[in-house]
Amino acid sequence: MESLRIAHLFPDLLNLYGDGGNVKCLAKRIEWRGMPVEIVSVNHGETIDLSAVDIVFLGGGPDREQRLASEQLLRMRDDLSAYVEADGVLLAICGGYQILGSEWLLGDESVEGLGIVDMVTKRADGSRDRLIDNVVLRSPIAERPVVGYENHAGRTFLGQGLTPLGAVVSSGGHGNNDTDKSDGVLYRNVVGTYLHGPLLGKNPEIADHLIARALEVRAARMGIEAEPLRPLDDAVEIAANDYMVKRLGVR
Amino acid sequence: MGLQLTVARGISALSTWGLKNVFKRPAANFPGKIALYVDPRLIADLSHKLDRGSVVVCGTNGKTTVTNLLADALETAGMRVICNRTGANLDSGVATALLHGDQSDWAVFESDELWLAKVLPQLKSDYLVLLNLFRDQLDRVGEIDRIQESIAGALAASPNTVIVYNADDPLCEAIVRKAKNKAIAFGVAEDMGLAQNTVADAQMCQMCSTMLEYAYRQYGQLGEYRCPQCGFARPVLDHAARNVRFGRDGIVFSAGTDDRTSIDVRTSATGAYMVYNLLATFTAANLLGCPPDAFQRALDAFDPQNGRLENLEAAGRPILLNLAKNPTGFNQNLKIIAQDAGPRAVAFFVNDKEGDGRDVSWIWDIDFEELAEADDLVVFVGGIRRNDLQVRLKYAGIAAELIDGPADMLEKTAGLSPDYRFYLIANYTALPVVRGELVRLIAQDGGSDGKGA
Repeated sequence: MESLRIAHLFPDLLNLYGDGGNVKCLAKRIEWRGMPVEIVSVNHGETIDLSAVDIVFLGGGPDREQRLASEQLLRMRDDLSAYVEADGVLLAICGGYQILGSEWLLGDESVEGLGIVDMVTKRADGSRDRLIDNVVLRSPIAERPVVGYENHAGRTFLGQGLTPLGAVVSSGGHGNNDTDKSDGVLYRNVVGTYLHGPLLGKNPEIADHLIARALEVRAARMGIEAEPLRPLDDAVEIAANDYMVKRLGVR
Repeated sequence: MGLQLTVARGISALSTWGLKNVFKRPAANFPGKIALYVDPRLIADLSHKLDRGSVVVCGTNGKTTVTNLLADALETAGMRVICNRTGANLDSGVATALLHGDQSDWAVFESDELWLAKVLPQLKSDYLVLLNLFRDQLDRVGEIDRIQESIAGALAASPNTVIVYNADDPLCEAIVRKAKNKAIAFGVAEDMGLAQNTVADAQMCQMCSTMLEYAYRQYGQLGEYRCPQCGFARPVLDHAARNVRFGRDGIVFSAGTDDRTSIDVRTSATGAYMVYNLLATFTAANLLGCPPDAFQRALDAFDPQNGRLENLEAAGRPILLNLAKNPTGFNQNLKIIAQDAGPRAVAFFVNDKEGDGRDVSWIWDIDFEELAEADDLVVFVGGIRRNDLQVRLKYAGIAAELIDGPADMLEKTAGLSPDYRFYLIANYTALPVVRGELVRLIAQDGGSDGKGA
């Protein structure tokens, strides 16, 4: 089998909050199932042919770095959009999630996004603070609760008919904005979210969701049926997930 | 003496007596805290206790070590010093140390990065020693730009303070360029040849947003940098470390303004970051008139017993206990562990309390993978977020076992051969808990803590 290829976009710029750990999680869970995997780090100034990629990861960065990365991402807009519309798998976190919408924030400034997902990110009304807290979600793509940590200033609003990644079920935590009580987005094979942790470490079901979709897309291209994913021993991950779910008082 | 100050001193004296005698608690913060309510200018009002002046030490990593060693060096040179030795580094800690201190020559205070804006304008210190800025507790303090602005603001409010800073750190250099204060640059004038880690802060020029280029990089973002676009670069070093040699028995380097005047500094401590800590301390001590031999004597005797690179022995096991509270600190510790070729038992402890930062995602920025191939290595994880550590280590290829604390670790390793060396690495609020348990174990053994190696 040809390697599953994970493209990590601009890890030298978008490397806040340990989100690169998501790439480690994906790679290991592919490897542990005996499948070859390759991580392609696309650094500042480099380009990538997305037609040869199975999973794209896009994280967030500090303002200055994010500004530089966004210039490059805007130049890749058509390729990224075509990749997503062809059911390419994309995991986007925080700033990487925001830029997928038609409008997002660079610092305090409202700027044009990639317009790949029908959503906008705006400044908070008045002088509201950053949203910073542990969060637990109930998500249609995971049986277990999804745990993570949010830390963002922008408020994201999904377009009509779009499904969030999950509903916020913890008493603390906000997710997309101050009112919706939901976080992230599910669109085709895109998973976008504010959750750090990194997301996939304590939520292996989401990692496997992404891997399974990538294998399906590849199988469909070859006109065959995708094999179901072999389950792994996730006792360690589940214990860490459980600890946070219990601590945050979610039943 | 003003009425406010008199009342503030009275209240603080009463609370100090109460804490020590009634509640049997150390009084590092509270007396200063309540006295500051009564007299908000308490720090300024008490600075008459200092005959010569004061130094504030600030930066993400190394504050407590540099502050304690600098105070020791000055005392060794015969000066009287007030110091917040326990690392109580908010304005209340500084105020408490000033309230409790006698008339002195110098005050040496460590200050939290964001509290510097409260401390420096009042203290108007002669020197600010700025060590480094690494990502740390981002959920509490915000991104590094905010810290830089806050430090620059503190300097603007104390225009006569001379900044003594690590010029190998572009984030410190950027502050100096913003401030109008007189500045003295220190750094390591040569490539120490260390293996690099994967996630480094700030590789981008903060002046023009171009990627910085490095002639060499020591660790993190520290090194000899230059912006190809706007010319922002490491300045000429006023004080430099040269001929750095890492040996089995410690580190030797020469420090000074140039080759002719440089003096050898020797330490049994290990880790590349100690070169920066010692260079910063040596430079500051030098500026305050402490002779080099007094500095070296203080360094030889240095044993703050605070869990920073502290050698202990419990249950017959040699233990190195150290603090690490961010990826850079952890990566430095992993290098110390990796360079020990013998059998090792290692435990990592991570809490997520207010002082640690509530978000523990930074543990994924630590290059634990470096330990995955090691032979004769057993790994344990403790602290409030031990499950998160266990997951992180699993994905680094390391099977780690959960422990409740050092005693549990020593029990679980009782069957290992006596040549195992133990490394216990804990983050901010985990460290005193781990150290406390070790000290109790040592007392039960009938041994004495400290001074193992």
